[in-house]
Amino acid sequence: MIQIIQILILGIALGGVYALMSSGMTLIFGVMRIVNLAHSAFIVLAAYLAFFVFKTFNIDPILSMVITMPAMFLVGIVYYRLVFASRADNPRFSDLTVLITFATGLVIEGVLAFIFTGIYRSTTPTYAKTSLNIGPFFIPESQLYALIISVLLIVSLWLFMRYTRIGNAIRATMQNRNAAQVVGVNVRWISTLSFGIGLAMAGAAGSLLSFVFTFYPAKHIAWIGMIMCLVVLGGMGSLVGALVSSFLLATAAAYVNFYLGAAWSPITFYLSLFLILLFRPQGLFGKKVEG
Amino acid sequence: MAENTIETNLQTKENAVKVPKKANLWIKRGVPLAVLAFLALLPVFQIVEGTLNYYLHMLMYVFLYVIMSSSWNVIGGFAGYVSLGHNVFFALGAYFAGMLFLATRISPFVSAPVAGLLAMGFGLLFGLIALRTRGSTFIISTIALVLLTAEIFDNWKLTGGTNGLAMPLINLEGQFAKIPYYYYLLVVMVICVVMTYFIKHSKFGLALRAISQDETKAEVAGIPTRQYKIIAFGISGLFIGVAGAVWGSYLTYLRPSIFLTVSLGTSIVLNTILGGKGTIAGPVVGTAIMIAVNEFVVAKLGATELNIVVTGLILIFVLLYFPEGIVGSLKARNRLPSFLDWD
Repeated sequence: MIQIIQILILGIALGGVYALMSSGMTLIFGVMRIVNLAHSAFIVLAAYLAFFVFKTFNIDPILSMVITMPAMFLVGIVYYRLVFASRADNPRFSDLTVLITFATGLVIEGVLAFIFTGIYRSTTPTYAKTSLNIGPFFIPESQLYALIISVLLIVSLWLFMRYTRIGNAIRATMQNRNAAQVVGVNVRWISTLSFGIGLAMAGAAGSLLSFVFTFYPAKHIAWIGMIMCLVVLGGMGSLVGALVSSFLLATAAAYVNFYLGAAWSPITFYLSLFLILLFRPQGLFGKKVEG
Repeated sequence: MAENTIETNLQTKENAVKVPKKANLWIKRGVPLAVLAFLALLPVFQIVEGTLNYYLHMLMYVFLYVIMSSSWNVIGGFAGYVSLGHNVFFALGAYFAGMLFLATRISPFVSAPVAGLLAMGFGLLFGLIALRTRGSTFIISTIALVLLTAEIFDNWKLTGGTNGLAMPLINLEGQFAKIPYYYYLLVVMVICVVMTYFIKHSKFGLALRAISQDETKAEVAGIPTRQYKIIAFGISGLFIGVAGAVWGSYLTYLRPSIFLTVSLGTSIVLNTILGGKGTIAGPVVGTAIMIAVNEFVVAKLGATELNIVVTGLILIFVLLYFPEGIVGSLKARNRLPSFLDWD
């Protein structure tokens, strides 16, 4: 019994980070119908940024979010303006974005590999190696902090979307782009902003992941596989869906990892993706219409 | 809008049949045939001189990728369903023929067609699931297929895990060792390209192109879109499976890190899009250019990291500015040399 609850704790802790990783991607898809396959590459990029400031200026990776989030926000705005802004009306836009962002991911991977080589990296603040004990259970300190910050960020994103004018405009654009435009939402500006926010979430995820996992330039392929599964399972574009599926799959993978072995835990993600495609292609919380 | 494009396609096809003059036809047919004859005779120099190993190797790379890109074209180019996971067929063919050889000593040259059929069967099965989705979700499912297969092959004892399987070298002297593989791939490539031509000009191919223009309208017009898509997906796996069997035996080692990388699946797509998806000559042109570029980057700049940067940048550039690819764009501007107009 203790064993089972312990695994649940570890699964939930990881679920928080996964939720943060997938929330940015699902936001970007929801608002702009861009399937951002470079999302994990941007996360890895942010992780390297956190690693870089940790090594050179000894800035704590949690604190480095102050740098990575605005940096990635700017990257997102520039990237969106350069590549996507003028093409948003193309009927094949969604398909096109998959290939373009995927290629972007490859470019980022190659540049990072050129600068930092393929060596496995991670930031090593003091809390990276210790665990907290609560009764018979334990939780690695790094994962606990990552979970808390992820939840804080997601909640503040939710509050922002729910209670601010800009947030409402973003939600309106997600629901119906044309109608939002009719009632006076500047869709172009909202899209740019949302892309920036999505990548800022990726920046935060990068900072947190830099001390939770080891990473290397090609790591984004494995992560994008995972994030894609989370996003499709939850329903493309649904923030709640991404959240639910993150916690669901993270705990499921933790149990699979314990009972069947580490090799099977990534397979959990991919198999669940195919199962959901088989029985409910629009995902748990998705709408029936797809691009 | 959609019907107009189909009509224009039909019109250009009719024009292409009407217009050619005699001299034009000589160039149109002659240049590709001359190149083919040259490729068929090249190993003779290798037998006599024995100095062409490098060129044969590079040409075999071209043949292999042309087979993969042309096959991909059937589902990705004609039907418009972009799959980033076609290298799974490649891996299936290679592992099937390799394991069969290690168990029973049946030569991969013999088992290759069976490997192709196996890949095709798998394609039909996977299509049954994944082709329930459209557009971006479909693309995602194909990437997930590669990652899932890689994960399974990495951990499966039967396939040797990450170390893979080792196969013996072919029982020929170094000077001749490449030649049987060379001809096998050349023949498969020619069959494959010719097949795409006949598919494109069949009723089936027309239906696939209608699907890529507007699937709902195609369905309303009475095309059994679901069956056609699945069949197209299966067919596109056939020759990739054959090529996989041959290539695995040529490499003599089978590893997931060679056959099941996402970047391999991407380069198939890139080659076709660069050349012009949906055209017959496109995959050939795109592949030849990309392999030359890759070889140049690796030889001159000497870094494989830069290789994927270049691959990615070219892909982005082509997608943004020449989505029709080289052959498609030239054709639209009426600048396509007649010897590249294979449609």
